[in-house]
Amino acid sequence: MAQIFRPGADTLARVTLAGIAVVPVLAVGLATTLWRSPYATAQDVTREQPVPFSHEHHVGGLGIDCRYCHTSVEKAAFAGIPPTETCMSCHSQIWTNAPMLAPVRSSLAEGRPLVWRRVHALPDYVYFNHSVHVAKGVGCSTCHGAIQTMKLVRQVAPLTMGWCLDCHRNPAPNLRPREAVFDMTWTPPEDQAEQGARLAAAYHVKSPARLGECSICHR
Amino acid sequence: MPPLTGLHRREALRLLGAGIALAAGGCSRPDEEILPYVRQPEQLLPGVPARYATALPLSGWARGIHAIAVDGRPIKIEGNPLHPGSRGATDVFLEAAILDLYDPDRSRAPSERVAGIASWEAFGKAYARPLSEARARGGAGFRLLTGRVTSPTLLRQIAALREAMPDAAWHVHEPLDEANARAGAALAFGRRLRALPLLDRAEVVVCLEADPLGPGPDQIRLSSALMERRRDPARFGRLYAAEGLPTLTGIKADARRAVPPPVTAALLVHLANGFGAGLPAPALPEPERRFAEQILTDLRAHRERAVVLVGEALEPAFHALAHWLNARLAAPVAWIAPPDSPPGHEPGDIADLARDIAAGEVSCLAILGTNPVQTAPAGLGFSELLRRVGFSVQIGTHADETAGATHWHLPLAHDLESWSDLRATDGTASLVQPLVRPLYGGRSVHEILNLLTGAEARRGYDIVRETWQDHPRPAGGDFEGWWRRCLHDGTIPGSAAAPVALPEPALPTLPPAPAPCDLTLTLTPDPALWDGRCANNAWLQECPHPVTKQVWGNALLLSHGEAARRGVRDGQTVSLTVRGSSLIAPVAVVSGVADGVAGLSLGHGRARAGQIGNGIGVDGYRLMQAGAARVIRDVSLTALDGTREILRTQAYTQIEGETDKLFPRIDLAALASAEPKGDGSDQPTLLEPWTGDADGHAWGMVIDTMACIGCNACVIACQSENNVPVVGPEEIARGRMMHWLRVDIYDAGKPERIEAGFQPVPCMHCEHAPCEPVCPVAASVHDGEGLNLQVYNRCVGTRFCEANCPYKVRRFNFFGYADGQEYASLGAEPVRAQRNPNVTVRARGVMEKCTYCVQRIANERQAAERDGRPMGAVATACQSACPTRAIRFGDLNAPGSPVAAQRADPRHYALMAELNTRPRTTYLAELRNPLREDRT
Repeated sequence: MAQIFRPGADTLARVTLAGIAVVPVLAVGLATTLWRSPYATAQDVTREQPVPFSHEHHVGGLGIDCRYCHTSVEKAAFAGIPPTETCMSCHSQIWTNAPMLAPVRSSLAEGRPLVWRRVHALPDYVYFNHSVHVAKGVGCSTCHGAIQTMKLVRQVAPLTMGWCLDCHRNPAPNLRPREAVFDMTWTPPEDQAEQGARLAAAYHVKSPARLGECSICHR
Repeated sequence: MPPLTGLHRREALRLLGAGIALAAGGCSRPDEEILPYVRQPEQLLPGVPARYATALPLSGWARGIHAIAVDGRPIKIEGNPLHPGSRGATDVFLEAAILDLYDPDRSRAPSERVAGIASWEAFGKAYARPLSEARARGGAGFRLLTGRVTSPTLLRQIAALREAMPDAAWHVHEPLDEANARAGAALAFGRRLRALPLLDRAEVVVCLEADPLGPGPDQIRLSSALMERRRDPARFGRLYAAEGLPTLTGIKADARRAVPPPVTAALLVHLANGFGAGLPAPALPEPERRFAEQILTDLRAHRERAVVLVGEALEPAFHALAHWLNARLAAPVAWIAPPDSPPGHEPGDIADLARDIAAGEVSCLAILGTNPVQTAPAGLGFSELLRRVGFSVQIGTHADETAGATHWHLPLAHDLESWSDLRATDGTASLVQPLVRPLYGGRSVHEILNLLTGAEARRGYDIVRETWQDHPRPAGGDFEGWWRRCLHDGTIPGSAAAPVALPEPALPTLPPAPAPCDLTLTLTPDPALWDGRCANNAWLQECPHPVTKQVWGNALLLSHGEAARRGVRDGQTVSLTVRGSSLIAPVAVVSGVADGVAGLSLGHGRARAGQIGNGIGVDGYRLMQAGAARVIRDVSLTALDGTREILRTQAYTQIEGETDKLFPRIDLAALASAEPKGDGSDQPTLLEPWTGDADGHAWGMVIDTMACIGCNACVIACQSENNVPVVGPEEIARGRMMHWLRVDIYDAGKPERIEAGFQPVPCMHCEHAPCEPVCPVAASVHDGEGLNLQVYNRCVGTRFCEANCPYKVRRFNFFGYADGQEYASLGAEPVRAQRNPNVTVRARGVMEKCTYCVQRIANERQAAERDGRPMGAVATACQSACPTRAIRFGDLNAPGSPVAAQRADPRHYALMAELNTRPRTTYLAELRNPLREDRT
């Protein structure tokens, strides 16, 4: 009787059987890795902007306070993107002819808004509120990183739900005194665990159980 | 959906490849853009709702509102507590006006009948000749036709127009006019007057075909006054109703008789005779005579605290008789000079206009904001007459039926887009301020009237300001400060009409009693579409009729007895004929309709309403006779073979003995001995016990069914606040709907004598929620403040929760009702601008339900946390809409919480307490003060 299978068929069968066991596991692993990777979370992705606004220069170099431009950060959910007028309050005096600033000048002249590309985007069913975080002693740099060193802003945190919950379930390590919230160079003291717990009590930060509830962020 | 066909191999591979590429691409975030302002308005906080006080008209009468805008987009309307016409509450028309603003069917440009889309300049050129000709004749042949005008600025402009052209004439056509009430007052007092019944002072209220609690410009004011008084058991009084069709007043009445209008008229005569009118005693059937005697006993015992109200279905003489009777009773009724007809400038009516057109006296006609081709009585033949006018122009927000018959159409701006002023029914004036620039390029009434008089173009703002320049101000106040204060408050202080002192009303001569007739047809305002002007509003089309629960259409209402006598079934089509004009309508068999009476609501069956309203329902105006009487006698009804499905959101079922359990009612006499019922926590349960709060708040709601008048304001408010989609008639026919809050009607009586009541049902937010343990993905969970949450991004759409919910308050997105598969024009770009940015728009395949307006709780919590203060009061959308304050929401744990206090009320009960779901939404039982012979 003639051979039906060639000698290599055994190997093929073994590989296939192993594949049936391994491929789904790998696929799930790959999917979760991909899902949490910067490719999906846009972490550390630097985005081109219509005007290459440098936080390194304005914040790190000139020392302009965050709230000069992000005016509603203490009052509203959205921190606010400055209107063209805010840029022009200085740039009508300095660098008035810089070609880099041409879009800003034409925006004011034509009354058309600048179109910035969003760096920190949360899904639409997440209702993040800046003002509450600022009031509870969560500093800008805790989530946004060392903005004062960035030529173009990138997202330093993954902004996944797991990352949010890490802090909501244990806020103490990330709390700082209110007066240091806008201090971009603040570093946690030696006894942050103690200090954080003290601040959590002083600022009436809700219990981890409560902060972990769906309705805190979703509606 | 096209039938599935087999794919070719290559096509299949191509689709597979595309699918994989898309799936991989879908992992990365789409690019989003941020557009800041160029110049940011002062005080504006991005994403934070801002309130502006303004007013919206219904049939010309103002109701003050707070329009809420987010980032410059108006998204919600709430009542203005300082305004007497709204008292901080709303009705369905106010709530739904926000959707009208964005209606993509609104007209966008002037148009000419033959040439089509034109421009304002082209209209100016075409209009120059007829205007100059009319001017040369001193205005002869020039006619202006408007709806009811209460705007002081518009009245001033019309007066100026008539001064410039003395022979020009102004006519008013208001489809649901109170013609009989006006004529009745004139009959009694010899002058034009408007009655303002003060229901907060009247304990015995006798409504004869009158519907003070029903839809209309005064619904909020009257129902809130009546229910506020009824909260006090000592002043509960008694509400009587005699009517042919079940109205909201009739349903809330303590004693009601379903009788045809002539019997109601005879009943009134009997009452008047009881106070010495000495009129010929009418023929009154024995049960009604006994009823009248009961009323008389109550009236005699409540001098100065009783009032008799008469509706439009009765002729003017009976209105005059009621005024005479009220004078005998010293009834709490204030009389004012009507704010809509300035002395010396009384407008003509549409019948005058029709006569003049027929006589060839009209050469130029401007129709401003009214739709006579649709709403004028068919007997006038107005659309035929319109062809005889040399030059006609219609100005309206939509290119409606009238626009199709005139030479020109001009787009009118919405009331939320223009400067104006309006008066409420008591004469209080309000300034109307715009929230956005006209979305579709319309102009305001004032700018257009300015254009029609040929004056130099002026801004509406300047025209309105000029009107108020000389208005008396507090001593030393400058105009600018006064103006800003008025804009801020939404009312103009001291502008309410002063009550008029009146002589004794004359006793009228009554018309002879009509011969008995086979069937009387009563045409009523539609509780959702009013006179038809709201027909293109999808929220209102899908707003259930309070009594029949019908949506997307109307039907001929017949009593069970009458339907049986004529051999027609529910849903069967019949042909109605009145003097040659006939109409085919489906029949809805409804309890509480008098035998011999048929009811049909107006406003449906429009041909040019827009994509939403075209051809929905049947058009009652086709049967209206020249006198515009709402009661048509001698209608012949022929049963046809066809059937048409009546789309209802609550099925009519008879459940023996269950009604008393689901909808308990307490007699006033038994109130003292009533005990509050618990929430059933003593019953056994298999569900996991709920453990307390993390930080002290416990949200709860108590709904007072005694105060609920079933007006649906809460339903539309919820829809507006929570981005609740419209599903459309096809989906309703499949038994699907999306309202998070429904108002159920229960009837414990007999078909001929109803004892009904309303019960609003939102999510109960059960502490032992049956929906939670059955969810396989934990999308239905509890939070520490007692809210039963629905987590949309977890939900996979098993619908187990819906199946396990005993209250049936969960709603499933079978299609992308709000997200890509919207009904008709609701997916259009402008409509999306209405959505509340603080509430997720739910996708297809996701379950949703009432959230207790979690976004409002969250906003208040975050504001309190930010400012370091305790949380203030939170009002849900349904609560703030309710005209009678029947819905109370709050923190059960707060000290002195009114909600917690209501839970200890003797009328308190929980729905289906035996299930021990421990609902957070509970009820106060209906309270009645029935006549002894009606007690069951």
